[in-house]
Amino acid sequence: MTADRRGLRWLLASLALQNLGRRKARSFLLIAAVAVASGVVFTGATLMRSIDRSMAVGFTRMGADMMVVPEGALTNITAALLTVEPTDLVLDADLFAKAQLTSVSRAAPQKIARVEHSGIGSHHESADLIGFDPALDFTIQPWLVEKLNRELQPGDVILGAGREAPLGSQLRIFGKPHTVYGRLGKTGVGTHERGVFMSFGTLEALAMSIGGGHGGGSPPAVLQPGKVSGFLLELAPGTAPLQARFAILSTLKGVKVVTGDSTMSGIRQGLAALLDGILALMVLMFASTVLMVCVLFSAIVTERRGELGLLKAIGARRSQIVGMMVIEAVIATGVGGALGVVLGILVMRLYERSLVYYLENVGVPFVWLDTPQMVAVAVAAIVLASVIGALGALYPAWRASRSDPYDLVRGEG
Amino acid sequence: MLSCLGLRKDYVTERGAVAAVAGIDLQVAAGRFAAIIGRSGSGKSSLMAMIGGLSRPSAGRVVVNGTDIWDLTENELAAFRNRRIGYVFQFASLLPTLRLIDNVALPAMLNRGGNAGDTYARASALLAQMGLGDHFDAYPSEVSAGEQRRAVIARALINDPAMILADEPTSDLDEQTEIEIMDELLAVNRERGTTLILVTHNLALAEQAEQIVHIAAGEIVA
Repeated sequence: MTADRRGLRWLLASLALQNLGRRKARSFLLIAAVAVASGVVFTGATLMRSIDRSMAVGFTRMGADMMVVPEGALTNITAALLTVEPTDLVLDADLFAKAQLTSVSRAAPQKIARVEHSGIGSHHESADLIGFDPALDFTIQPWLVEKLNRELQPGDVILGAGREAPLGSQLRIFGKPHTVYGRLGKTGVGTHERGVFMSFGTLEALAMSIGGGHGGGSPPAVLQPGKVSGFLLELAPGTAPLQARFAILSTLKGVKVVTGDSTMSGIRQGLAALLDGILALMVLMFASTVLMVCVLFSAIVTERRGELGLLKAIGARRSQIVGMMVIEAVIATGVGGALGVVLGILVMRLYERSLVYYLENVGVPFVWLDTPQMVAVAVAAIVLASVIGALGALYPAWRASRSDPYDLVRGEG
Repeated sequence: MLSCLGLRKDYVTERGAVAAVAGIDLQVAAGRFAAIIGRSGSGKSSLMAMIGGLSRPSAGRVVVNGTDIWDLTENELAAFRNRRIGYVFQFASLLPTLRLIDNVALPAMLNRGGNAGDTYARASALLAQMGLGDHFDAYPSEVSAGEQRRAVIARALINDPAMILADEPTSDLDEQTEIEIMDELLAVNRERGTTLILVTHNLALAEQAEQIVHIAAGEIVA
C-alpha cells in the first residue's frame, strides 16, 4: 500500500496519471501533438542557432557587401570583397563611427601598404601588408584555418594562404621579428592570398622602415595613426545596396563606393529574413498548441465535472483542483516535449546527412551547437512543452474550480 | 444545531427565474435524525446542497453551531465541508481511478495533512466496519453497488463529521441492500451521535426519523 506513506501530493499525482491512462487514445493524441510542436521548436531553435553561427563564420567569408575607398582610388573588383586595395589616398579611421549610418551594420577599416624588399619571400617580391582592427574586422578572421591558442597580440602576423610558415615561427619584416599567429584559408582573392595581416599598431610600428625602403622619403600616409585605406561594409538587414550607396554618398564627402557581388548580400539578407520567419512560425505554433491544449482540457474538465464536484464536496480547495488538472496536463505535455526532442534529433540526423553535407561541399561550414548548448535547448523545449500544458489547462481548471460543487455534480458547472 | 433562515434558491432559465427553494425556515437539533421528503422536483436536493455548503443560496442563511457557513471564505467553506459534513450522494460517488482505501482516505488527506499512515489505518478500520475488509485494494468497478455505497459511508465518516447528509442514498439499490445501508446510517446516528439528514421520497424510510420535513414546490408544507 504505497499511497499510505506518500501522502496527498502522491495521491493527486497518481490520480492525474491514472486519468491520463483512462483515455489512452486521447492522451496519446495530445502527447503526439505536443511532441510535434516541441520537436519543431527544438529542431527550429537548434538549426536557427547553428545557421546563425554558420552564417557568422561562413557568409562573412563571402566578403563585405560594399567597400568605401577614397575618391580617385583605383580599385580592382573581385568576386568577394575581403580587403581594400593599395592606394596613396587615405580616409579618416573614424569616418563611419562619426557618420552613424543606419544602413550600415558593420564597418571594418583597413590599411594596406604594398612594399618591396621587406624580407618576405624572394628579394624583389612585393608584399601587401594589411592592417585591420580585430574588434571590427569581419572579412579576415573568419578565414583563419589555424591559429595560436591565444588572442592576437602586437607583433603577431597572419599569413594569407599563398604564404608558408609554421605557426609560432618568427618572420622578419624589414628586419624586425614578428610571430606567425595564424594562417588563412584559400580565398582566390590576390591580396588576401598573398597578404600579411596584422593589427594597426603592428603595421604602424613598421612605418619608418617602410618609408625608408620606399624611396628614402617619408612613410606612406596610410601608416599614420587615424588614417586608413578604406572600409569594408556590411549592410543593415533589409537595406538594399542602392539605398545604402545613396546614403553614404550623400553623407560622406570624398569617398567612392564599390559594390560587391549583390548575390551574396541577397543570400545573407534573405537568410536573415528566413530565420525571422522560422521564429515567427515557432511562436505561432506555440500559441496554437496552447489553444489546442486549452480546448482539449476544456473538454476534459466538462467530461469530469462530476468528479471535480465530488472532490470539492469532500473538501478539496480550489488550488488543489487547479493543481490536479495542471499536473495532469504537465505530465502529458512534458512527455510530449521529451518525445519531441527525440524526434527533433532524428530529423536533424537526416538534415546533417543532406543539406549540411551540401553546404560544406560548397565551402560554407555548418557549425552545430556544442553539446551543452544543445542539451540546454532540449531542456528548454521540454520545459516549454510543460508550460504549454500548464497554460492550456489553467483556465478551464480555474473556471471549474469557481463553480459550486452541486452545479459540477449535476453537470452544470 | 442547524438553522436555515429564509433559505431560497432560484435557477435562471430562458423563461425567467424558477424558485427551487422558496424561503424555508428549518431547525435540526444536534444528533437528531431528520428526513426531508417530497416528490421529485420539490426542492429537497437543492435544500440539502445549500445546507451542506455545496450550492450558494440566492437568499437566506445556513447557520451551523452559530456560524453562517455562506459567510465563510472559499477555503474556510472547503474546510467546513471537509471536517464537519459527510456526504452520501444518490449516485455512485467514488473516484473510479482510486482504490476503495484511497477513496476513503482522500477527505482526511485533503485538509488534515498529518500522518498518512494513521489516515490509512483509520480508513482500513472504517472499511472493515462496513464489511469491506477484503476489498481495501479493489477499485470501485470491482465491487457491487451496495459495497460502493458502504465505502461512501466509510468515506463520509473518515473525518468524524458532526453531520451526515444523505441524498436518496439507496434509490438505485435493491430492497435488501437498502435496508443494510439504512441500518449503517442509523447506527452512525445512534452510536456516534452524528446528526443525520436524509433526503428521500420513501415514506417507509422517513418514518424512522425523529423529525420529518415535507417539502412541496420549494416550501415546507408539513
